[in-house]
Amino acid sequence: MTQTMAEGLVETGHGGLIAQDWNALTFRVNREAYRSAEVFQAERDRIWNNSWLYLGHETEIPKNHDYKVRTLGGKPLIFVRGGDGVVRAFLNSCPHRGTVVCRDEAGNARNFQCFYHAWTFNSSGKLSALPGDDAYAELDRFKGSMDLRPVAKLDIHEGFVFVSFSPDVPPLLEHLGDAADVLSMAAEQSATGMTTLPGIQRYGVKGNWKLAVENAMDGYHFSPTHNTFVGYLRETGFPVTDDDQYAYDLGNGHSMLVLTGHNGRLGMIWEPRFGEAEKERTRLNREAMAARLGQERADTIGDASRILFVWPNLLFFDLEALTIRQLEPVAPGRTDVRAWQYVPTDEDEDVRAMRLKTMTSFVGPGGLATPDDIEAYEAVQRGIEASKGDARGFNDWSDMSRGMEREAKGEKGRSIDEGAMRSFWRHWDQALGAVPGLKATTYESGC
Amino acid sequence: MSAPTLTPVTRADAEDFLYAEAALLDEWQLDSWLALFEVGGTFEVPTTDYKGWDRTGGGFFVLDDWDLLNARVKRLKSRKAHAENPHSRTHRMVSNVRVEQAGDGVTVKANFVINRFRDLTHHTYVGRYVHDLAVTAEGLKFRHRRAYLEHELLEHGARLSFIL
Repeated sequence: MTQTMAEGLVETGHGGLIAQDWNALTFRVNREAYRSAEVFQAERDRIWNNSWLYLGHETEIPKNHDYKVRTLGGKPLIFVRGGDGVVRAFLNSCPHRGTVVCRDEAGNARNFQCFYHAWTFNSSGKLSALPGDDAYAELDRFKGSMDLRPVAKLDIHEGFVFVSFSPDVPPLLEHLGDAADVLSMAAEQSATGMTTLPGIQRYGVKGNWKLAVENAMDGYHFSPTHNTFVGYLRETGFPVTDDDQYAYDLGNGHSMLVLTGHNGRLGMIWEPRFGEAEKERTRLNREAMAARLGQERADTIGDASRILFVWPNLLFFDLEALTIRQLEPVAPGRTDVRAWQYVPTDEDEDVRAMRLKTMTSFVGPGGLATPDDIEAYEAVQRGIEASKGDARGFNDWSDMSRGMEREAKGEKGRSIDEGAMRSFWRHWDQALGAVPGLKATTYESGC
Repeated sequence: MSAPTLTPVTRADAEDFLYAEAALLDEWQLDSWLALFEVGGTFEVPTTDYKGWDRTGGGFFVLDDWDLLNARVKRLKSRKAHAENPHSRTHRMVSNVRVEQAGDGVTVKANFVINRFRDLTHHTYVGRYVHDLAVTAEGLKFRHRRAYLEHELLEHGARLSFIL
């Protein structure tokens, strides 16, 4: 919807929940986007049931018959490597009556047996046995129709496993677009390969999932929110800076911050808290990378930290060390989070210990920084109740206008501007469209 | 060379130490709490799917060496530690204390229940402590302080911004 007003052009998106004013150079999001049950349901239908979603990494199930159960878009799934070595994902629900088939969290199993009526499926999903099968007409045809239900699509890029509950999605690489190479850059960091480690940080936040995306794509919050962490880095001898760092819209809802002044990078850019021994190792590692990948590629990978958002549920942090983070919305104001360490397979024990210590010092609900991000999502989720139903001006709209003037001039967006958040919200608006039954205040331009 | 002789650490000694620690944490007397560690002490909280890995093997929520432990205390004393400003109210119950003495140290195991209140909500943290303690002239000191959660995951809002 576009309103032409005396002040200029205001675009209010497909559903009236974003408002970008190219005259006043403001960008605002209606707070029902974070609060409304109707929006949440529409997101489930049109985004989570209609897009590639990050499921997990294939190194989580390295051996044949290894499995993990995991809920994605509200659907319980089994993520399993079959006896043929093929990675698959099935609905964790018996085709017979719908019982959860696998009630363990993880393990290695040649067969999954539903306890209710003892139907047995092999690790490739095939119904192998059901008790009393003589009572079924056309048994072979019947049995053949009752295998575990696979997700509609599954594809893998550099070990990152994505699934879709809809068959009508573009090929994975087309969906990933420019984000694909960012994941490749991470995967290329070790000559012997990269792997996830056991030990998933699983936690829940009392905030809408989009607040977690915004926070990751928001360089503006770093200094005030992480004041104590910035102080800690400064004391160890690393001066944090926001200068000369940029945000990129990668298309299809994906976005990225490229950061050079937030931290060192283990094996890539030395900083004092890594210790003297790491200095020489870093130099040798960079030389080896340049020999293996070419100088230009090695420098692109090594010289900058990256925070990548892959629409709609994957955040990839290539910072001091590497972390995969998956978002699972469970209610408008509730999000489940899973986070994995992603590490080179060939790393010395002392370097690995430093990597885990360094990443854990920042990331996760027990780190020295992430708890302040969680406090931010939760304080926003509580705070936006204040303006609910308030039709005055744009009281019930959150502001993301920072850097709009640079954007309008076509200048490169800084990480401390809010451009990556704007590109996220524009894509969200397009993916969601109008939300039936939603009562939200309309945007009053020029207020 | 004869083995060093140690005064045996009784369960009552260990309980006194753990109860005093719990009181310091509930009162947010963090400098006094840090003084319960020997220099070089560590603090770990593994993830809730922990299967016995060491500091190189898998995920943790907290993996503090001595420097990070000091940084954590310094941070939590700052008004800019937003996740704990205002502080959570915590209430700790420590029980099932067992003492295993070996070499120049002692391992103390205990169960804990910590109730935390903030933002008009309440979370309960249930788990086990497994601490390696040094026996010093000034009394018991933490060498390795470990808290293992029994939870399957941290429920919505149940972060570990305070000291578990």
